[in-house]
Amino acid sequence: MASEPMVLLQGTLDVLVLRALRLGSMHGYAVSRWIRERTDGVLEIEDAPLYKALHRLEQAGHVAAEWGFSENNRRARFYRLTPDGRRQLKDEEAAWRRYAAAVFKVLEPA
Amino acid sequence: MRRFFNLPWRTRQQIRADVDDELSFHLDMRIDALVATGLSPDQARAQAIREFGDIDDARRYIRAVDHDIEAARRRSDYMNDLRSDVIYAVRKLRGSPMFTLTAVLTLALGIGANTAIFSVVNGVLLKPLPFPQQDNLVRIQFRQQGHGDASTPPDLADFRTRSRAFEGFAHYEGLTANLVREHAEPERIAGGQVSANWFSLLRVRPLHGRFFAEGEDTPSAPRVVVLSEALWRRDFAADPAIVGKQLQINAQLVTVVGIAPDGQGYPMRAELWTPLRFTTRDLGDATRGARWLGLLGRVKEGVPFETARAEVEQIEKQMEGLFPEQFRERRAQAIRLQTAIVGDLQRPLYVIMAAVAVVLLIACANVANLMLIRATARESEMAIRTALGAGRSRLVRQLITESMILSAVGAVVGVAFAKWGMSLLIAMAPDDLPRVKTAAIDATALVVTAGAALIIGLLFGVFPAMQTAAGDLANALRAGARGTRTRRQTNRTKRLIVAAEVALAVTLLTGAGLLIRSFRELMTVDPGFQPDHIMTMRVLLPEKTYDTVTKITAFSRQLEARALALPGVRAAALGSAVPLDGTSFWLTFTVRGRAPVRKSDEPSSSIRLITPGYFTVLGTPLLRGRAFAADDRAGAPRVAIVNQTFAKKFMPNEDPIGRYVDIGWTQDGVRQGGQIVGIVGDMRDDELQSDAEPTFYLPFDQTPTEGIAIAIRTATPPASVATALRGIVRDLDPTLPVYQIHTMEEQVAASVSRQRFYATLLGVFASVALVLAAVGLYGVIAYAVSQRTHELGVRVALGATGDRISRMVIAEGVILTAIGVLVGLAASLEGGRLITKLLYNVKASDPVTFVGVALLLGVVAACASYIPARRAARVDPLVAMRGD
Repeated sequence: MASEPMVLLQGTLDVLVLRALRLGSMHGYAVSRWIRERTDGVLEIEDAPLYKALHRLEQAGHVAAEWGFSENNRRARFYRLTPDGRRQLKDEEAAWRRYAAAVFKVLEPA
Repeated sequence: MRRFFNLPWRTRQQIRADVDDELSFHLDMRIDALVATGLSPDQARAQAIREFGDIDDARRYIRAVDHDIEAARRRSDYMNDLRSDVIYAVRKLRGSPMFTLTAVLTLALGIGANTAIFSVVNGVLLKPLPFPQQDNLVRIQFRQQGHGDASTPPDLADFRTRSRAFEGFAHYEGLTANLVREHAEPERIAGGQVSANWFSLLRVRPLHGRFFAEGEDTPSAPRVVVLSEALWRRDFAADPAIVGKQLQINAQLVTVVGIAPDGQGYPMRAELWTPLRFTTRDLGDATRGARWLGLLGRVKEGVPFETARAEVEQIEKQMEGLFPEQFRERRAQAIRLQTAIVGDLQRPLYVIMAAVAVVLLIACANVANLMLIRATARESEMAIRTALGAGRSRLVRQLITESMILSAVGAVVGVAFAKWGMSLLIAMAPDDLPRVKTAAIDATALVVTAGAALIIGLLFGVFPAMQTAAGDLANALRAGARGTRTRRQTNRTKRLIVAAEVALAVTLLTGAGLLIRSFRELMTVDPGFQPDHIMTMRVLLPEKTYDTVTKITAFSRQLEARALALPGVRAAALGSAVPLDGTSFWLTFTVRGRAPVRKSDEPSSSIRLITPGYFTVLGTPLLRGRAFAADDRAGAPRVAIVNQTFAKKFMPNEDPIGRYVDIGWTQDGVRQGGQIVGIVGDMRDDELQSDAEPTFYLPFDQTPTEGIAIAIRTATPPASVATALRGIVRDLDPTLPVYQIHTMEEQVAASVSRQRFYATLLGVFASVALVLAAVGLYGVIAYAVSQRTHELGVRVALGATGDRISRMVIAEGVILTAIGVLVGLAASLEGGRLITKLLYNVKASDPVTFVGVALLLGVVAACASYIPARRAARVDPLVAMRGD
């Protein structure tokens, strides 16, 4: 059972994308690879919702996009965090930690 | 930020391509990576697509989001541009305060005048009457030579039974009410006698109490009255408890049943209403000849006005078939109530509206010229901005922003002007202009003002902006470039604008000139009496208390005798009316000894009842025979006097003196009339601009009447006897209100107040137009001189004298003006027809006015060109040719 990938909770993807972009400017493919590596396949992540999230975040002003060239010299769309996105990431991260801490607190043997 | 790099916005196709690129880049990267781990390309592709998930959904979603992003970006870029345009424009405008001040004030003047006049036009003509579905209210008028437009009770009954297009009919008659309250001066109130359904037909709801119930207009019903809100507030402290109480009106106790909300002053500024009671005799066919009733109808909902109008004419035709005698040559006509009330104001008010619009056009033209001159001075600024990458449309937008700011500020200041102007206007407006006193700058006027500001901002902005932006970049940048093609073009434009301004000003000046000339003609008219040193006032004796001839005569004799005994009084007289007081009676008459004619063919004449001193007080000459004497009293042989027009019209080939005339009026069972004993000069009794009507005078003592006018000729200023006169009336009967207290000179002035109002307004606007046009002319000539300094320097160096140079400059201004004047006069010949109806004794093509206006413009043009001409004459050739 534990090896079955878990379905992502609604809204989680945004914070993962923002976290990925904290490393610096990267294209969608790189974001996708980074998240998969970090979660070790525990979370089932498709690329379609990821790209939707990127554009949604762009609309919200959390990330900015620009065309550039990839490592193999192909035209690619690069995303980076805006100051707004950085703040958003901080807030969501804190919220997640509080949430997780609260859940763990309950689950911990008394 | 984005605009800094001048990046274009992405189109729909570009977004589509970008999204496709981005997604295929991802798939290709993933496929390459998977192939590197040893998968076949096909397997790699399949896995990459699987990992991706619903790619079509993603594609659609992303496109939509990107599209929204682009739109938002476009909006924000636009707003940013606008903000920077506005900031830049404000900085530029503040940088040249003289230009800005001139432009704003010019526009404010034009816009303010328009707002004020539009508010008046809106309040008087356009705003609906305060009655629900007022469009369906129709006045029915009966036109017949010499009979006014009234109808009769049987007419009303006919319409009630025969009509299908109308929901109902109501009728009214004027009422003069003497209202007596405790501890207050008796008051004379204008009122209306109306049918019981009056208010329900108008669809008005009472403020308090109720309106008339059915049957309250029958003779046996108890007497009731409805008060207007204004009267209720003024005289009864807005106390709702007044409903149910009794008032003394015309010496009768009347119960107040309700209060009508304000704005119901129709008909005739009524402030109280009583039911009009028809007697059986009133309703009989015998009364069809005597017309005194106003008729109002409400067209059924959904029935077009045209249908109702046709029906009215049709009913009239049917009635003519039944009663050919009374209806001969009579025409019934349905007119919308609003038109009936303000109909004769339409033309003059629209003429005035057009006049202010012209003022605004001239103001616009002036500002457009200022902008053009400024634009020329800013050529290098524009060139530099173009060189830095500003597109042409961007520059045009920048310039239009400036003009919009100017017109917006102009509009705000203009509304302030208008508020002030309105108070002047309303104070100046004649009292008999309906609805004008309540005109105000309301939301409609503000919307119209804003709309006008928007349009004129574009009007005087776009044109110069196009001219500027079309400028030749290279030429403009070349230092000291002179006489470029664009400049010559803008100069031509400026001249054209100025000539147009002059033409517009000329049309206004001729219009105003004609009205002023016509007004002066009116003022020099001989009214047939000498209006100086005459005091007049009226009283109305209530029928209830003055129910016999003896009682009336007792009152009138005492009044006259005591008035005559006042210090400073030279002569005193009573009459049923005095000239110009708006009161007149017309009656048919027959001359004894002539072959009898059909009743409907009997001639009619104005009838006035006067005491012997009447002609002495008014200073009207007795042409033949004798005036009335104290002996011409009740019981003595009946006598009469006619005026010259009467004698000429009705007795051209015989001596009127000695003829006996019977009039269509019986009093105490005796047919009135008398033997003509004298002929007097004509008087203009109704209005100054109309010739005297045939008038028949009878001695007041032989035919006393309840409505009495008193006229006093004084040695002292006439107003000084007013208080004493009122005191006499109070002594004689403390319940009588005294009203229409005027000197005769005031009456004369009031009778031409509309003409004075129109002439003054048009005069003011024409003066403003003239000043604006002169300023415009000055600006263009002065600018032309400053541009031609070099050329003038050369001319001087070649031997031209200062005089020659200044003559040349003045000639330029005069030629421009001459073109404008010619066009303007031609337009005035056409436009003059619009005001023909407003003119008295002056033709619309009056040569004196036209030549006068042309000369005036010539002088103004010479003056406006003179200052720049002097400057041109003093050009120092050395300085001028050294370049700028």
